[in-house]
Amino acid sequence: MSWFSRLTNAIRPDRLDRDLEAELRFHLEARAEEAVRRGAGPQDAAREARLRLGNALHTRETSRDARLMPWLESLLKDVRFGLRMLRKDSTVTAAALASLALAMGAALAAFALVDALLLRPLPVDQPERLVQLTTLDKRDPHENHTFSYPLFERCRQAARGQLDLFAISNQYPEPVVFGNSGGREEKLRVLYASGNTLPALGTRPALGRLLNADDDLHPGAHPVAVASYDFWMRRFGGDPAVLGRWLRIGTRQFRIVGVTEKRFTGIEPGKRTDLWVPMMMWSVPEDLSSPDSTMFAVLGRLKPRVTAEEARPVLQVVYANFLRERSAEFRADESRAVVDSFLHGSLRVVPAPNGPSRLRETFARPLWILAAVAGLLLLLACSNLANLFTARALAREREMALRISIGAGRARLLRQLLVEGALLAVAASVLAAVFAAVAAPTLVGLLSTTDTPAYLDLHTDWRMTTFLLSACTAATLLFALLPALRASGVSPSDALKSGGRQSARTGTLRPMLVAQIAFSFVVLFVGGLLLMSFRQLTQVDLGFIPKGVVLVRVEATDPNPFSSSYFVPAARVAALQLVDRIRELPGVRSAALCEFGFFSGGWMTDSIRIDGRAPDDDGVAALPASPGFLDAMGVRLLEGRSFAPADIASVPSVVLVNQAFARRYYPGQDPLGKHFTFAVRDGDLAQEVVGVVKDVRLQSVRDPAPPTIFVPLRRLDSTLAVRADGDPWSVVPLVRQQIRGFGHSLRDGDVALQSALVDDDMVRERLLALLAGFFALAALALVGVGLYGVLSHSVVRRTKEIGIRMALGAKQSSVVKLILREIAVVSSVGLAIGLVLGRLLARPVESLLYEVKPGDLGSLALPLALLLFAAALAAVRPAWRAARVEPAIALRNE
Amino acid sequence: MARQDALQGSLPLLVLKILARRGPLHGYAIAVQIEGMSDDILRVEEGSLYPALHRMEEAGWIKAKWATTESKRRVRAYDVTAAGRKQLEGEIVRWRSITAAVDAVLEQA
Repeated sequence: MSWFSRLTNAIRPDRLDRDLEAELRFHLEARAEEAVRRGAGPQDAAREARLRLGNALHTRETSRDARLMPWLESLLKDVRFGLRMLRKDSTVTAAALASLALAMGAALAAFALVDALLLRPLPVDQPERLVQLTTLDKRDPHENHTFSYPLFERCRQAARGQLDLFAISNQYPEPVVFGNSGGREEKLRVLYASGNTLPALGTRPALGRLLNADDDLHPGAHPVAVASYDFWMRRFGGDPAVLGRWLRIGTRQFRIVGVTEKRFTGIEPGKRTDLWVPMMMWSVPEDLSSPDSTMFAVLGRLKPRVTAEEARPVLQVVYANFLRERSAEFRADESRAVVDSFLHGSLRVVPAPNGPSRLRETFARPLWILAAVAGLLLLLACSNLANLFTARALAREREMALRISIGAGRARLLRQLLVEGALLAVAASVLAAVFAAVAAPTLVGLLSTTDTPAYLDLHTDWRMTTFLLSACTAATLLFALLPALRASGVSPSDALKSGGRQSARTGTLRPMLVAQIAFSFVVLFVGGLLLMSFRQLTQVDLGFIPKGVVLVRVEATDPNPFSSSYFVPAARVAALQLVDRIRELPGVRSAALCEFGFFSGGWMTDSIRIDGRAPDDDGVAALPASPGFLDAMGVRLLEGRSFAPADIASVPSVVLVNQAFARRYYPGQDPLGKHFTFAVRDGDLAQEVVGVVKDVRLQSVRDPAPPTIFVPLRRLDSTLAVRADGDPWSVVPLVRQQIRGFGHSLRDGDVALQSALVDDDMVRERLLALLAGFFALAALALVGVGLYGVLSHSVVRRTKEIGIRMALGAKQSSVVKLILREIAVVSSVGLAIGLVLGRLLARPVESLLYEVKPGDLGSLALPLALLLFAAALAAVRPAWRAARVEPAIALRNE
Repeated sequence: MARQDALQGSLPLLVLKILARRGPLHGYAIAVQIEGMSDDILRVEEGSLYPALHRMEEAGWIKAKWATTESKRRVRAYDVTAAGRKQLEGEIVRWRSITAAVDAVLEQA
């Protein structure tokens, strides 16, 4: 026999009971027979047998307890009883269950995201020893995470004893063609990484080999690639024959030499990598030797027994030397302050157990805020349930008193009530898990933008389970413990003596209501701020009209993208012809070529020199564009003229400038006809301003337009901006066809809607607004239901009091006032607390807001009005019921 | 799982010894055996016999199965297990040492 038999006996005690019964019966009979054999009468014999056995019931119970787990058995009894109680009030139970499940589900989904993006370390050995290098310039409050390759190399060499450094590129989708695939092109996420990256991370191959230090030697000489496990499964179904397969990225051939292990899902949470390629194979070899190309993240693994602090000094020396050498390239007329601040840049070694993540930088704060709001929602749901349990416990006061007076222990009653709460919480947890399983991936989908799909590993693991279990336990204690303590603490004599009159102990419901109103105010307040902020963003005047414009890449098929054939004068003429052809297509209103569409993440920065002005290095944004660009993008020309076809070849070159440029460089003057030069190493290029355009936000809805110039586009491979009459997608096939049929070794590339690019910029704000709105609605519903429940309950309890008042001549209006006063007191205290809490939470939220201040009247008035409205709505029916109390009936109830 | 202190006094020792020698017996027979062999000096507390039997069964010292007597009645017959025999040896040593200690006190006092 073992715990297992005791467990099964506890779950199914019937058989055990029958056996015990039979065994004892036999004993009694045998003993009686013996007495009869000794000559006793049958009745005396039976009596003697019973006497000798003693208390048969006690014997049976003690034997029984030896055979099962008594605590488990009585717990099961409590569970059955609890289920019966919950079923009795099935509507209330369903409402309670739904609200708790919703709140727990929201909290769980928020946790899943926070965990996947912010908390969970990388799936590698000893992730706590991973660090990232960052630099800090005194003039810039933000840490810089990118390094040039030469600087990285020096750091790696110098700090070899302290840590194993490796560099990785940013990850972009690149066109890849596999051998034997009929030339089909696939967009794969390729990450360029130092050869020692994967070994340093502590990753093992699932197949073949990983990249290693030998792949780090000579630029262009290591044409190998390692597939990620996930990609290997998706693309090759786990076929081991993937080893040795050839593939082409751009124009270069690579051979697959290995697959990473399954648990390693990538180095950057939020992004999936398909192929790992040696850094030496970076597509622009010059970047590996230029100290100006700062585009690589540098991470490392600390050697055993070395701390990040110990690793820093040697790296700082390298960095300081590097800066000193670089400062030699400053012009002699550079300001002392700039040089000084440059020279005093510092390098830091930051712990990076969960890898670098751009997604994290953007979403860390919003996610924490969402988690906090979800937590508040959970508290709100719990206090709602606490009210429900208190009300129910009050109604069962007599039952409790009776049970105590016939000998039930208080602990037993307490457990009974807690079990009832736990049942509800467990059921809600199950529903919450289902809810979160749907909601979390949907949320991740909302984080994705057009060219960077977000990917987070959201599989259920012990972390999720632990979170759910602790949330479930905490919720049970929060909503069931206090009511249970009160109910089991009932004094039997008082409760029974009062002869059915229920005590008026509704007092404890009030603090709960206050808490509810406070919490829901905070949720509404924060939600309102985020919603208003999003509204402000969508109303910003961008300076152009994104709607209706589609951007189509026109790509070079020539193996050398820098081939002069795309730059020669003939190419420029061809570019104009291509635009003309597109313009003639049906459904196309206007079209132009440009180097970058707006919000596509690209522009060129140029320093300019103006005679009679001190040089500054802040630079201006330069956007190459063909004639007709302003029309196609909907940018307003304020003064002067737009580009003409002849401008391509004009000397001096002509430029259009925006208002910000004019304000900065020609304050109080007419910029038309002014001249300036681009400062480039091989001589300055003279420019003449021929037009002034309205400010256009280039990269972010939030940032005002930088000083911007438009220069004539001088190359053929670029981006077509096409404004359509109707749906821009409808013209895409025709445009593609035109490009393909145009010749000049061109082909059609990626397509993006200009409006989608703008939307991508607001992905964070949209997500926040959406969720905040959802949470606010849920909070409003919860608080409304909570108020309604408590008020109805209190009206029922006070029926007699109200009856007496009315019998003594109180008017209906004064009875209604009684009810309303109750809600007014509770609401105002709750709102006051909510205001204080709201102010606290508003601080971290503030930096996410756009042109909305947490102190604004509007941001306070809106949640206030909504809450009062909900409170009023909740009070209508209870107040009406109170006013309708018939004194005679109410008093006769006694 | 076995809680020795839960087994009252010498009852387990007697039960184990009897089962070891006369093996499978039902509860009533055990009680009768103990009384008979000790000339009625040791009368089993019948009220505590059954809980003790069930505890010993849970402890794995004895095992039980339903059997039918000559008079065609179903009885629960107990028998000692290997673990029970080992336990018996221990119990005997313990009992001997206790009685020896008590004797020593009686003789010296």
